[in-house]
Amino acid sequence: MRLTACAALAIALVAPGCSRDSSAAEPPRYAAQPIQRDSADPFVTHDEHIRPGLAAARQGLVLRNPYEGNAAAASVGAKLFVAYNCIDCHGADGSGAMGPSLADGRWHFGGSAGEIYESIYQGRPEGMPAWGTLIDSDQIWRLVSYVQTLGAGKDPSTENFTGRTIARTGH
Amino acid sequence: MSRRACVALLMMLVACSRGGDATSTAVPNAAPIVAGTHIGAPRPGPAGEWSLPAGDYAASRYSELAQITAANVKGLHAAWTFSTGVLRGHEGSPLVVGNTMYLVTPYPNVAYALDLTQAGQPLKWKVRPENAQAAVGLACCDVVNRGAAYADGRIFYNLLDGHTVAVDAATGALFWRTRMGDLARGETMTMAPLVVKGKVIVGSSGGEMGVRGWIAAIDATSGKELWRAYNIGPDADIKAGPRFHAFYAHDQGPNQSLASWPGTTWQQGGAAVWGWLSYDPALNLVYHGTSNPGPWNGPQRPGDNKWSAAIIARDADTGEMVWAFQPTPHDLWDYDAVNENILADLPLGGTTRKVLVHFDRNGFAYTMDRATGEVLLAKPYVPMNWSTGVDLKTGRPVLNPEKVTGQGRKVTNICPSLEGGKNQQPAAFSPNTGLFYVPTNNLCMDFEAREVSYIAGTPYIGGNAPEYAGPGGHRGEFIAWDATTGRKVWGIKEPYPVWGGALVTKGDVVFFGTLDGWLKAADARTGAVLWQFKVGSGVVGNPMTYVGPDGKQYVAVYSGIGGDMGLLIAGDVAANLPYDVRERGSTLPDLARWTSWGGMLFVFSL
Repeated sequence: MRLTACAALAIALVAPGCSRDSSAAEPPRYAAQPIQRDSADPFVTHDEHIRPGLAAARQGLVLRNPYEGNAAAASVGAKLFVAYNCIDCHGADGSGAMGPSLADGRWHFGGSAGEIYESIYQGRPEGMPAWGTLIDSDQIWRLVSYVQTLGAGKDPSTENFTGRTIARTGH
Repeated sequence: MSRRACVALLMMLVACSRGGDATSTAVPNAAPIVAGTHIGAPRPGPAGEWSLPAGDYAASRYSELAQITAANVKGLHAAWTFSTGVLRGHEGSPLVVGNTMYLVTPYPNVAYALDLTQAGQPLKWKVRPENAQAAVGLACCDVVNRGAAYADGRIFYNLLDGHTVAVDAATGALFWRTRMGDLARGETMTMAPLVVKGKVIVGSSGGEMGVRGWIAAIDATSGKELWRAYNIGPDADIKAGPRFHAFYAHDQGPNQSLASWPGTTWQQGGAAVWGWLSYDPALNLVYHGTSNPGPWNGPQRPGDNKWSAAIIARDADTGEMVWAFQPTPHDLWDYDAVNENILADLPLGGTTRKVLVHFDRNGFAYTMDRATGEVLLAKPYVPMNWSTGVDLKTGRPVLNPEKVTGQGRKVTNICPSLEGGKNQQPAAFSPNTGLFYVPTNNLCMDFEAREVSYIAGTPYIGGNAPEYAGPGGHRGEFIAWDATTGRKVWGIKEPYPVWGGALVTKGDVVFFGTLDGWLKAADARTGAVLWQFKVGSGVVGNPMTYVGPDGKQYVAVYSGIGGDMGLLIAGDVAANLPYDVRERGSTLPDLARWTSWGGMLFVFSL
């Protein structure tokens, strides 16, 4: 399937989500303000930043998810996760495959909504594509909403040999 | 005449028959014990060296060395080790040329030259070529590298990011670095090149990324691309011209590939060349396999999808397609045909036939005429149920309709699984015993396909396929196979898929490594395990053997779990990154009790 068909598929997938958007829980789609400038400082704040000289934290740009806590948006995100082939890199339910697990509560580049948004939008060095070149920020926020649900109820910190296993697909 | 004198005379006769090839430094094959049985192509350099990925052009992984024998192998001990400094899957094997050992690591594909003449094997040099990080996330099945090839003072190998490099074997100086693959289209490079008459033959990975597979030749001296043949698309692109003649009628005629794909689907149809190559100098043919078609979801690509999942013979000088054959037309199970094609001359039907033997992912072992592409024999070498047999009139498998996969339905209990009866782990062939030694998987799967969009730079798969142990409950077996009859002669059952390759020697010892970290030596005639050693991490590489400067025979193997089994299937074995902690996979739920990531070379001697 060519890219145009792919885009059409993605739009089609969003369409049912849009109808769910009319529920009271969902903010109006196009009213979303994905980037809020909390200060004039262009510095993007990350919790993990080391501040040289133990300088006081500065509040820079903060990216806020307009769909925070919105289950309908996350469910559209789950469909986009398949439509954009995220599933075949990160595994079913984000369990890890070619790319790292998204379900372990551990993050290479930060796990806040804004940091995950950045990872999707601008890509990451080890092959994560820069999806901001292809899809709009509304879809990225829905993906963020879905990805943030994946670690729920999991405790992979201590490996053991009696706990549950999951089905994995080789290539 | 004493037997030794007889052998010497035979060697001279063989050498004479190969006369005229003035540049060849090949050691002729010794007289076989099994009448009519020979390795089908010569070995460059002396028997104590290992200069090509499989040791020789025939991909035999057979060594004439015989200091280590079935009688004394129990005295083998670790002689020295070397850390590659890299974790992840260590497929392939080192090379030894002269008194130097050459290693290539998984990404970032560091190459080392070790001085074998000095205690402690200090480095002669170390090469760290520029290698784009983005490649890490585009490799389907771990960031493996299957090794280098040596010719004329140069080491040639591929970088994960789609480049081929040539390095001065003496100094480590980079002669050239040529861009062959396009990362933006998901083309990474993991295979080991083969050097044929001054041409470096390479291909790319990316069967799961919607690539359009190709094989290419690079001038060993200049680094310039000499020819490139795609495996799918118009005849001109795939180099199917006047010399192309497939054996079976349904494969003959113009535009076989183009006509077997709907619309332009061939443009992202897979057929990547990520496996091992072999070469017959008498026929001047290079043999290679091609990967699965993309995507896995068959209904998106009705037709035979030529020449994906195919074995192809090409002229080494021009890349022209001479014959092609699909073990699995219109593949619906991810049965790549990239497994090695071992060239042997075998007694069949009262004469000696020049054959290639190929243990396909689809579970059939093919004995084929390597000049024509005719299937002489095709028998299952592992438990299988997707096909009831190969029709020798057409070469095509007879399908079991219950195991045909497709969009929107879950097909259960398909054997073998998509890992195949065998995968990247190469088999070996001994002219001493006339047998092939095959590391196999015993896995079955459920398969659920779905529609998928092609987005360049992302996977193009469209399917889930959970895997589990096949009949008997063991997940692998190391077998000896008679390719003249299609029969298993003996087998060593293993708890895990045997994901490391095989080595067989004139001492009638066969070596293989296991995912749970054992290097094992067995009697090549009986299959009795004679010796084993627990190395630091699971073995997914191939044992090799050489003679050191001290005149002793050594056996070397990488320890370093990874690849498809270690990264994707096991799950928690790969979970040693602080940002990537994985749950156990149900296919190999207990593997992490036995192994963790590693990256060590182990070398053994008596």
